[in-house]
Amino acid sequence: MTLFKQIALMLSIFLLVILATVLTLNFQSANKSVQEGLYEDAKNTATSLSLSLGSANGDISMMSTMINANFDSGHYINITLVDVDNITLYTRENESEITDIPKWFLNFVNIEAPTALANVSAGWSQVGILSVQSDTAYSYQQLYSIFKNLLISFAVIATIGLIILNLLLHTILRPLKEVQKQAAAVIRNEFIIQENIPYTKEFKDVVLGMNNMVSKVKAMFDKGNRELKAHKELEYIDQDTQLRNRKYLIDKLPSYLKVDASSEGGVNIIIALSGMIEANEKIGRQNVNRLFIGIANIFKSSAKDIKDNIIARMNGTEFSLLLPDCSGKDALELAKNIQTSCTEIIKSAGLDENEAFVSIGLYKYSYLDTISQLLSHSDNALAQAKFSNENIHIEKAEDAVEVMGKEAWKSIINRAIEKNKFHFLSWSVIDTKAKKLAHHVLSINLTLDENTSYSYAQFMAPAIQSGLSHDIYQNVVNILFKIPNMILRASTYSLRLPHEYLIAPDSYNDMSELLRIHAATLPFKLIIEMPDKLVRQDFIQIKQYIELFRKHDIDIGIFEFIGDSEDYQYLQDLRPVYIKGEGSYFLTQNDQSLSALRLITDSVDISLIAVGVMEMETLEALEEKGIHIVQGRITEMLEV
Amino acid sequence: MFKQRVLVLLSLFFITTALANEPYVDKPLLDRISEKYKIYAKKRFFYLQQTLDSVKDKSDLEKLEAVNNFFNDVRYSSDKKIYNKSDYWATPWEFLGKDRGDCEDYAISKYFALKYLGVEPKKLFFTYARSTKFKAAHMVLTYFETPKSEPLILDNTNRKIFPASQRKDLTPIYNFNGDLLNQIGKEKKSHKKWDQLKLNMQRKKI
Repeated sequence: MTLFKQIALMLSIFLLVILATVLTLNFQSANKSVQEGLYEDAKNTATSLSLSLGSANGDISMMSTMINANFDSGHYINITLVDVDNITLYTRENESEITDIPKWFLNFVNIEAPTALANVSAGWSQVGILSVQSDTAYSYQQLYSIFKNLLISFAVIATIGLIILNLLLHTILRPLKEVQKQAAAVIRNEFIIQENIPYTKEFKDVVLGMNNMVSKVKAMFDKGNRELKAHKELEYIDQDTQLRNRKYLIDKLPSYLKVDASSEGGVNIIIALSGMIEANEKIGRQNVNRLFIGIANIFKSSAKDIKDNIIARMNGTEFSLLLPDCSGKDALELAKNIQTSCTEIIKSAGLDENEAFVSIGLYKYSYLDTISQLLSHSDNALAQAKFSNENIHIEKAEDAVEVMGKEAWKSIINRAIEKNKFHFLSWSVIDTKAKKLAHHVLSINLTLDENTSYSYAQFMAPAIQSGLSHDIYQNVVNILFKIPNMILRASTYSLRLPHEYLIAPDSYNDMSELLRIHAATLPFKLIIEMPDKLVRQDFIQIKQYIELFRKHDIDIGIFEFIGDSEDYQYLQDLRPVYIKGEGSYFLTQNDQSLSALRLITDSVDISLIAVGVMEMETLEALEEKGIHIVQGRITEMLEV
Repeated sequence: MFKQRVLVLLSLFFITTALANEPYVDKPLLDRISEKYKIYAKKRFFYLQQTLDSVKDKSDLEKLEAVNNFFNDVRYSSDKKIYNKSDYWATPWEFLGKDRGDCEDYAISKYFALKYLGVEPKKLFFTYARSTKFKAAHMVLTYFETPKSEPLILDNTNRKIFPASQRKDLTPIYNFNGDLLNQIGKEKKSHKKWDQLKLNMQRKKI
């Protein structure tokens, strides 16, 4: 129960008790007053009537008439005249019943009408004693009316009192609400600084304390952000040409060489500049550096139309241009243009084109290649180029023997989508430090029948090539929410949603509808993983997803993180529960970079998870770097 | 057993004797009166006690005579002069302490003195009457031997006690019996002046 409710309840009870007490006291006072009034009436009547009776000189008929006149005109239950020997001379009694007052009220309120006595004399002689008792019916009516009015007043005052109390409490506790919001924001790792400092001292101290704490955490995050950006520049950028470096290419290649890569392959061009040592001597180091910048600009302008390209300086004289989805023919054309442009710029630098020249090796890679395959084939192509007359050589990967053609795959996948033939598999993600399961990662396979089953690695590449990735995930997400029983209950599962699915126009609405209907009944905790690159680039669209997921208590994770962002503010805005990066990425980071990344992630409570960990040695190396949560084949060997 | 009976009888005798000897005005009250109204007042109360003691075992008539004579020696004065109030019913201690009062004060003091002497309160009535001689409202104390007998009038304007039939100068208007009013109960108001007087008596107002 909130503090507001507790105080409101306490004060409301207090107010109602006070009002009830006042009501009771008022009613008791009214009751007493009415009873006193009854006696006063009786007493006055007794005195005045006894005076009148005195003038009758003992004539009973006269006295009876006088008593009748009084009895009939007033509210009396009894008037009796007894003589000096206590013998009744005359009496009148009212036997009417009280009809217009509820029975419960008559039982609840007890009114006693006291009897007033007066001596009656005629001259000096005593006639007797007159007793008068007032009728309680009229008093009951009066009291009942008072009771009703008191109840109405009570209800009105209580209502007004409670409204005022509510308004007052809201006003007084408004700063507390703000403090609560700020505290909730801190829990969500949001950095909110409270601008309105409350007047109340206790609240003021709390707000100032929270502001101070939030400022420190924010400063910590900002420091990490700045440091990571600085390290990123040193780590991934070639300082002379401002191109990417070899490390960047190596860290980035896993996202190009994977079964569910968005591109099935392309061309990697390796360009080597010969004669640069001589050029240094001839035109000086500064001019050579300018030459390198000019050549880098040629690379950039040549590859600018190719999406997701990577241009990296591999070493002092070698460059690499990774061109996804580029055909061999186009790449060759591009290479020739580069060669021509480079020759021109070399000449314009005052160098001999026979001494200083570029050799270009092209390797047509496939997503199935490993990094080392890609690099060795590229080097091989360059070696061949250096010995060829044109200084250009293209080498192709050996075509994998396709078991099935594209059309066959397309047909199988379409059938699987139509008949919900995708099934979930799960892999463990283990926290080796806490020795516990962090969560399960969901993967899918395609099972057509008992004997025909395809793994994710088998069907995903042809699916992407056929443009069916979005349809598969649409189907999978549907199955996940509509038929979640296949998965173990009461645990945490993560599902990767690829770039193709997330950016499709209808995905958001589909997801929104699914969550609206099924999120509340999902029997497990769900984490949706999104690619780091998409999160950074399409943040506005991603923000919609994030708000949707948060609304339905679904956490967010980031995968394929290599820390090549210009700014890490998005991590603070997105606040994922974890970041997944290749184990090799974490291992190749220097201590400063990793420490800066840790500063950022710790300040907003983000876990770092290394994926693709296969060997125990890799795990040990990761643990030395402080990465304890791992995913990959190694988890099969770990006990939790 | 016999000894026990003797003891109980002796105890009863001493209690009765002690009660019988209880003065009309107790000592602490007498000291207060003495302090407030000085030595002469104390003497007046001493003479009152002497008077009351002298008729303690006499008939009602003798008690009436003694009490009436004693109090009729007090000087008459209006409430306005004494208390600066238009009408005030003084306690017997105020009346004798100040040694003055009006007609109600005489009747009240006579009533309580007679009650002290054991005259039945139901026989004593406060009677509002009109004095034809002074053409003014008046109050006297009336004594009824029996409820039907002719009352005796204890008046301060006429020092002697006369039967009502001989007091042609008085026209009775209304009377009340203190005993009857007391029957109504302590909590209830019976008669404004009488209630106030009773309260003053309880507080031993002097």
